[in-house]
Amino acid sequence: MRKRALFSLLVPFLAVILIAGLCPVAGAADIKIGGIMDTTGATSDVGKDYALGMDEAFKWINEQGGVNGKKIKYTWFDYGYRIPEAITKYKLLKRLGSIVIMGWGTGDTEALSPTVNKDKLPYVSASYSAHLTNPAKTPYNLFFSSDYSTNARAALTAWFDKKWPGKSGFKENRKPRFAAVYMFASPYCSAPIKAIKDQATMLGFEIGPDQDVSLFALDTKSQVMALKEFKPDVCWHGNTTMSVSATLRDAYGLGLGADWIVNNWGYDENLPRLAGEAAEGVMGATPIAFYGQNYKNMDIVVAAAKKYNPGVPQEKRLIRTPQAWGDALVTWEALKRADKAGDLTGDGIMKKGFETLSLFDIGLGASPITFTATDHRPTTGCLIQEWKGGKFQEVERVDLKQRWPEKWAKEWLGW
Amino acid sequence: MRKLVLLTVLIVSMALAATAFGQTAAKGVKKADVQKKAAQAVMITPIVTLESFEVPQYDGWWYFAAKVEPTKGDKGDRGAPLPMSFLFTVKNPNKYPIALEGAKFTVAFDREFEVITYNNNDVMWIPAGKTNHFRATTMITARSALLSLLVTGGYKLKEKGWDAFGALERWWKGVPDYTVPVTVKEGAFTFTGKGMTKVIPFDATVK
Repeated sequence: MRKRALFSLLVPFLAVILIAGLCPVAGAADIKIGGIMDTTGATSDVGKDYALGMDEAFKWINEQGGVNGKKIKYTWFDYGYRIPEAITKYKLLKRLGSIVIMGWGTGDTEALSPTVNKDKLPYVSASYSAHLTNPAKTPYNLFFSSDYSTNARAALTAWFDKKWPGKSGFKENRKPRFAAVYMFASPYCSAPIKAIKDQATMLGFEIGPDQDVSLFALDTKSQVMALKEFKPDVCWHGNTTMSVSATLRDAYGLGLGADWIVNNWGYDENLPRLAGEAAEGVMGATPIAFYGQNYKNMDIVVAAAKKYNPGVPQEKRLIRTPQAWGDALVTWEALKRADKAGDLTGDGIMKKGFETLSLFDIGLGASPITFTATDHRPTTGCLIQEWKGGKFQEVERVDLKQRWPEKWAKEWLGW
Repeated sequence: MRKLVLLTVLIVSMALAATAFGQTAAKGVKKADVQKKAAQAVMITPIVTLESFEVPQYDGWWYFAAKVEPTKGDKGDRGAPLPMSFLFTVKNPNKYPIALEGAKFTVAFDREFEVITYNNNDVMWIPAGKTNHFRATTMITARSALLSLLVTGGYKLKEKGWDAFGALERWWKGVPDYTVPVTVKEGAFTFTGKGMTKVIPFDATVK
């Protein structure tokens, strides 16, 4: 009797398992991903290209079969670079069932960070602030790129390695002089300043007074005149392209004579267009290749841009498109791994997805990407390029972990 | 016992049937690929036109800096909203239904000052040979446009000898009464039909 009862339970159970296992449509469901982009606000000149690139990347990913056969439904909104709007859009996307959100700026990403971490909702943004890389504090914040502090340290190191030995000051055996130019009140601009000054001190620089240049600046002559008193050999510019180009033009016009190293959001295809001759020799952090540059997988990025946004002229496309792909590709890989492990919860996406990536290669000139449970710095260095002779050229790929393993491991995480 | 045997046979049959369905589905996919290739040759490009443009709710021109105390609510840098509504006609010249799966375009004032990039992925079917309407409504404020202008449009303003607030006032007053050219540019309308995807570029200026 007991045997019979057992069979009567076992048979329907087996039936369900067999049918579910053999039927190819079983288990297929859309994966919802949200996007909070800036296509109207203060960063829309670069935000638009990033938003288009992200959309194109997810369309291409779906063409490749999505996440192990599950289609990605990517829904994105403009938030106008306004923090209250970002919070509203985040709530909407969460309500719509997004399991990952692709975000944007430093201000809103840092403002949303406590909510994201409470909700356990992976938030992959275009803010590369090092403040978001310590999982003990911000376990659900991610990005594919070298963080701003790594960019800054790498850019200064590349200049020190490659340019300083050719300067007269080097032959005179004096200390190189360094100054930082950025908008003091901007979270993005000020994020890596402590790190680059630490790097400058470590490399033996003399550090001059900071100069406050607004993101809206078109005239920076007073700041350049102040710099002239210090006579820097190299200056860091931590702003975005327009004010960086304005400073370069004024520095060139007033004969400052210093070299420039620039953070990634101030260093794109528009810089030489806006700065003209003043852009010659300017170096910058390039966590990914410029649009169309000859690197692995760039053909895919360009083909998708032409296919999905045929009305956008190719010459308008920027490095921001590959940057969006960087975040999309790393998210795709994490989702595939988490899905294969059968766990698409926020916790599963982190632990069975992102935090299993080890030296993951996305191509596009990006450094290999690693996340661990204790360290969310995606890369250990950054490629530094230079605008020279009408094109961007590699200067040096600086690997900070390789050069300073102790400091990398014990001192530099999270700032 | 006989019942159990029958039940087991039933399960195995169902499983086999499911497998067969799966294989047929897979063949169906291959068949769809063939159809897709065939359809590509015959899919006629849908025709998109901008039929009308309006400001659906006009709130005038104003801007308050954060130092101004509001009568109610929180103070802050606030600018007048400017919603814009674009009505597109979408004609399907094909002998089968197609779906509009996404629309994206950038809106510019005075032809070169981009103020918003719109995106919508709602799906709308258009029957064979029929024309349908698609309405896209956007929203900007004088505050968001000011920041965009200052950070990204600085050089263009300088070239024209305009100041940011002067340009905003002209736009906020001129767009609703059609004296400022409003351009829809870099548009991409994505259509699918018979397993094929086609993206149509689109540009138009409101006259």
